[in-house]
Amino acid sequence: MNTGKAKPLPYSDERHQAAHQFLVEEAALLDAADYHGWLDLLTDDIEYVMPVRVTTARGAGFDSLDGVGHFDEDMYSLRKRVQRLDTEHAWTEDPPSRTRHFVSNVRTFASGDAELVVESALLLFRSRGDTREADLLSAGRTDLIRQTDDGLRLARREIKVDESVLRTQNLAVFL
Amino acid sequence: MIDLPAVLADVGRGMIPAHIYNDQEIFGLERDRLFSRAWVFVAHESEIPAPGDYVVRRVLGDSFIVVRDELGTVRVMFNMCLHKGMQVCRAEMGNASHFRCPYHAWTYRNDGRLAGLPFHAEAYGGDDGLARQGQALLPAPSMDSYNGLIFISLRDDQPPLRDWLGDFAFYLDLYTRQSPAGVELRGPQRWRVKANWKIGAENFAGDSYHTPHTHASVVDIGLFREPRASKRKEGALYVAGPGAGTTYKLPPGGSFGEQLRYVGYPDEMIAAMASAWSAGQRELIEQAGFMVSAATLFPNLSFVHNWPVVDEAGTVVPFVSLRQWQPVSERETEVLSWFAVDAAAPAAFKRLSYRAYLMCFGSSGMFEQDDVENWVSITDMAGGSMARRLLLNSRMGLTLAGAAIKPPLASFSGPGVAYQGFGEFNQRHWLSMWSSHLTGGDR
Repeated sequence: MNTGKAKPLPYSDERHQAAHQFLVEEAALLDAADYHGWLDLLTDDIEYVMPVRVTTARGAGFDSLDGVGHFDEDMYSLRKRVQRLDTEHAWTEDPPSRTRHFVSNVRTFASGDAELVVESALLLFRSRGDTREADLLSAGRTDLIRQTDDGLRLARREIKVDESVLRTQNLAVFL
Repeated sequence: MIDLPAVLADVGRGMIPAHIYNDQEIFGLERDRLFSRAWVFVAHESEIPAPGDYVVRRVLGDSFIVVRDELGTVRVMFNMCLHKGMQVCRAEMGNASHFRCPYHAWTYRNDGRLAGLPFHAEAYGGDDGLARQGQALLPAPSMDSYNGLIFISLRDDQPPLRDWLGDFAFYLDLYTRQSPAGVELRGPQRWRVKANWKIGAENFAGDSYHTPHTHASVVDIGLFREPRASKRKEGALYVAGPGAGTTYKLPPGGSFGEQLRYVGYPDEMIAAMASAWSAGQRELIEQAGFMVSAATLFPNLSFVHNWPVVDEAGTVVPFVSLRQWQPVSERETEVLSWFAVDAAAPAAFKRLSYRAYLMCFGSSGMFEQDDVENWVSITDMAGGSMARRLLLNSRMGLTLAGAAIKPPLASFSGPGVAYQGFGEFNQRHWLSMWSSHLTGGDR
């Protein structure tokens, strides 16, 4: 996280506005379960990672597990996940969850000529069936967004979830 | 009030009262009669390699610090200060020479001994009022380990762990001792599911029957090495000591090395397995072609070994996962899922095996996702009134008269009893142990 030194682009900067719009459009695709549309927003060398957060002492110097995450994906594994949701046998999302990806606190940092580092806060609301309480996942995201001939594309995402024990039955959803 | 003898009689004939999967009274009995004494897994030694390394783990409501002390001895201590009962460690992992209670600063060495407390002389009159000698955090009543897997019991009269493991140790080695270096565990991923803890334990013990349907999607997309999940019915199910598990039948005629290469092990790991395993362990794979898949060690530690396709080129790589079904209540379970890999495996193998694990099991795994959907739904239904009228048919493999529909495998090289094909022998075995704990039986 660029919490300290670097200065985010002003909200009036077109690069910030484009990045913010990219994230909002991406969220709309995910909430519409348009996963192929979502894959189209990723670069072929996408890195999609979600560390496991752990409770540690303030001075420990780490707050995530080393060596295992919730996600550590590339284009192959993300495609497989989407292909699976296309089948008639992905029971955990059939009937599908109702999701809403709330994206806020967007800060954009210039990174070279063709890339932007974009931080955002995500709150994912996920509701299944009619008897269960809905799930909430809160996370901070740090994205590397690249300017390509086809427009902005997501090249890397790190999802820093705000819980050590997830309160959702699985991650059959994208954050 | 439930009629426990009637419930257990139904369980004993393979007709499972549905409400046991969401029943507060049953859960109380499980807490008081099962988890109060069974050997329960808490951590692996590889999670705390250096002096001072610790992890904090629970057995139901009780929090324990699992720590390697300054002399290298692994200790498991109840995480509650001797003075007023505050947790002395509120992190879940780290490295510490001492644990200091935040309340009044009673301070313990990482072997549990009380090192000091403020104003000892003024407040207590020194050792006349409170002798520091001999004061220590409560140790787990019993602690023992096998292949670096650390177990505790809340009673001090348990048989040694190795005696309890009995014949299951043979299978445990296949997951956790692929070389003399032993296994290393990474994780755990932790998440909570609204499902009763028994369902996952039973499923991993023996439910090969669910694979063709529940996991149809991973076959559809070509993630799974086996072309048809229905191949499951050719595998063997075994019951051995306090454990039970499933296997896949590999294509016939392969040597030990060919069978292991088929599931993706590199030659140097195959050589290590050949020297680390007994003749019986090697024969299981070489002669019979049975490759271990899922298993459960009673009560709540499960294992899985699988070999998915990890890239576009079609590379098959195996992985091992350990997982614990930690009960939160009769309707909620915390899953702790570790990626496990041989400590001496090549770095490139470890990396790919980790990716294989993530795609298949754990919080985001594509097999696991559909399992949990089933288990949450079962638990939801089991909490109502009608579930008290329903006996779930768990008699697969038995005739109406109660005989096995086919004989056990005569030439199975592993210990215990094995059947080829589908059956619920293993789940009934797990439930028989559950029953004997609930009646305070001899287990």
